[in-house]
Amino acid sequence: MESTDNLKQKKSFSQIWERFGTLAILILLVIFIALFSADKSKFLTTSNIINILYQSSDKIIIGLGEFFAILIAGIDLSVGSILALTGILAGKLMNAGMPVMLAVFLGCIVGGAVMGAINGLLVNFTGVHPFIITLGTNWIFRGLIMIISDARAVSGFPPEFKAIINYRIFGQIPMAIIIALLLALILWFVTTRTKLGRNIYAFGGNREAAWFSGINIKFYTLIVFIISGVCAGIAGMVITAKTGAAEPLAASGYETFAIAAAIIGGTSFFGGKGRVWNVVIGGLVIGLINNGLNMMRVDTFYQQVVMGALIISAVSLDTFVMRQKK
Amino acid sequence: MTKLIEVQHITKEFPGVTALDDISFDLNEGEVHVLVGENGAGKSTLMKILSGVYTPTGGNIIIDGNSYSHLNPTLSQELGISIIYQELSVINELSIAENLFIGRLPTKQVVGVPVVDWKFINGKAAEMLKMVGLKKNPSTVVEELSISEKQLVEIAKALVMETRILIMDEPTSSLTPEEIQRLFKIIRNLRSKGVGIIYISHKLDEINQIGDRVTVLKDGGLVGSKKLSEVQSKEEIVVMMVGRELKDKYFSTRQSSEDREDEIIFEARNISTPDQKVKDVSFKLHKHEILGFAGLMGAGRTELMNAIFGAGKKESGSIYLNGEEVQINDTYDAVKKGLALLTENRRETGFFHNFEIFKNVSAVENLKHSKLKGATGLINTNSEKQMAEQQKEALAIKCTSIFQNITELSGGNQQKVIIGKWLCANAEVILFDEPTRGIDVGSKSEIYKIMRQLVDDGKGVIMVSSELPELLSVCDRILVFRKGEISARLTSAEATEEKIILAAT
Repeated sequence: MESTDNLKQKKSFSQIWERFGTLAILILLVIFIALFSADKSKFLTTSNIINILYQSSDKIIIGLGEFFAILIAGIDLSVGSILALTGILAGKLMNAGMPVMLAVFLGCIVGGAVMGAINGLLVNFTGVHPFIITLGTNWIFRGLIMIISDARAVSGFPPEFKAIINYRIFGQIPMAIIIALLLALILWFVTTRTKLGRNIYAFGGNREAAWFSGINIKFYTLIVFIISGVCAGIAGMVITAKTGAAEPLAASGYETFAIAAAIIGGTSFFGGKGRVWNVVIGGLVIGLINNGLNMMRVDTFYQQVVMGALIISAVSLDTFVMRQKK
Repeated sequence: MTKLIEVQHITKEFPGVTALDDISFDLNEGEVHVLVGENGAGKSTLMKILSGVYTPTGGNIIIDGNSYSHLNPTLSQELGISIIYQELSVINELSIAENLFIGRLPTKQVVGVPVVDWKFINGKAAEMLKMVGLKKNPSTVVEELSISEKQLVEIAKALVMETRILIMDEPTSSLTPEEIQRLFKIIRNLRSKGVGIIYISHKLDEINQIGDRVTVLKDGGLVGSKKLSEVQSKEEIVVMMVGRELKDKYFSTRQSSEDREDEIIFEARNISTPDQKVKDVSFKLHKHEILGFAGLMGAGRTELMNAIFGAGKKESGSIYLNGEEVQINDTYDAVKKGLALLTENRRETGFFHNFEIFKNVSAVENLKHSKLKGATGLINTNSEKQMAEQQKEALAIKCTSIFQNITELSGGNQQKVIIGKWLCANAEVILFDEPTRGIDVGSKSEIYKIMRQLVDDGKGVIMVSSELPELLSVCDRILVFRKGEISARLTSAEATEEKIILAAT
């Protein structure tokens, strides 16, 4: 039972926070950066805003995949290497003369799904925590990249590949942004309107109760890691097209961005709680910090420090607010 | 007689609810004061005030002549108050001795450096374990103990802390009759040493055996206190608790076996589990019959239920529903085929604490009409809400709305939500594993009525229970389990407590 009148207010405050807290962080950041950027006229321009969205798109995409892994109280540390491996696969297929769309579909989407499935199956068969499994597969995938690519970047793709991903709708908005938002829209639908999504939340909330209610835990573990893998594959496609080359060392350490996007977006590490749109905002926050710190002319080395500090403060703030609920 | 504690006019208000309204209560040295009341009556709130978790809105607590407007957890401990909660708070990963001294490990000086004095700790722990009658080595890891043994560890912990006021919340809810008697012996022993005990229970049969005085709470108010020597019958207390005479006092739902039809709706043949907790068990369930499973804790009843439901591994055996064999490889199959299992532990395996009531209610129904392990199909929020409203009405679930989070409900109401979850799924055969554990008398009789209603509607109901009076009054037939096998099959006419206990041990 909750107590006294002001607790009721606190409770509704925490509900508001759960819904809009991440957005509040984003708005505060925008104001902060707008006030302190070296060249104020440049920060809040349409082209810079589009640029921020463009830079954030890949973080949003892998963040969305990571969101599912965290939603079942797991984690996926292999998203960075899946991203790079799918890029290399698609690149090799394209260069072997396969039609662009088919190569991207097989290399990135199917490839990502297979790698995700490997994670899921290993978790299911061994019963080991996803942290360990994906820590291991992260190295395995990265090793495979080196073997397949001979540690050399794959480039020289057909021009239409770059053209499709970098195509600007209305001459303004890059496809990468549209892909990220479309993906978010689909996953929002999955989480809020489908039985699949509901069962994943149930699983995340109480694994045992889910099993005793007819939810096959192993099946859903597999599905979740496939979703995470496919998202990483899509991000692989986007990044490969952005840079025009599939680098063996692409996206090293990107799992940090993915996890950060999900948790800045308020996804609970204990599972069962989180919203897709908040993860999108979480990804935007990361892109914004990168961009804003550049605008404020902060040294890149310091940017890393700020990023780390921000992750800690976002999560502590969230924990603090949630604790008030008690 | 000295008063250990006196609570005067305590009031505790929550938003929209008065949890405690002007409650006065006292406890004497060497007394067992039983506290009863339905769920939501305010027992837990009162306990939380005594343990210093809650601050009362009004009133005083007098201990040793000092008056306090509120306590805090440290102060409460210093004043000699210990609580043993229904959900035990021992730490599974530590040894018994470490659990007893946790947070206060005694040290000795070795070359000027304080180190933990294990010799003293293990010696003292062994002494305490002897007092509570637990024959275990103090270095045993708690994980290896049964629930009743863990409870004894908690009592021993209270002894180490030199507790003067011991509060026990439903201590017998997971114990077998034998273990209960052993617990009572320990309680009497503590009482003779001057410890005051506040004993919260739903089991009216126990109260006479162990209590000196009984206080009844209802809806946050004090109904009254009585010396148990002056209480004539159990009904007297029930009337105080419920405020009216329970029409069918939880005992008259049973029907005579002649009325039963011979149609068999469910059958299990030669079920065994790989761990041999269940050995080659076969039984049949007739239409319109409530079948009871009696037995000691750990006799394999829960394992059998889990194996039938696909939640636990089955080594061999087959299951027939309405005469046809059904393949159940996981819980999804069980749900699809029309089985339901109400698990014995609602917190751990029953409800989703991240969900509102309505999402908890619809969880299984969503799976029932789906393919591919429940991954296909859309959520229909309107029908979900409708279902939840229906169950709220039908089961009289006390809540502000179906959008309330389930964790905010009392235990009995949480149990009703879980029952609602299975009723929505329209299961053919429902396995109830200890459905009334830790639930008040009012809710209990409601659950019995639901079970009876289900069999009247042509469903099959199996009830596993460790409470013999409950089994005897509710079930049409009782199977007794012993060491993974059925040791007796009794009709309602032949079953008596003696026969069951004889077959179970």
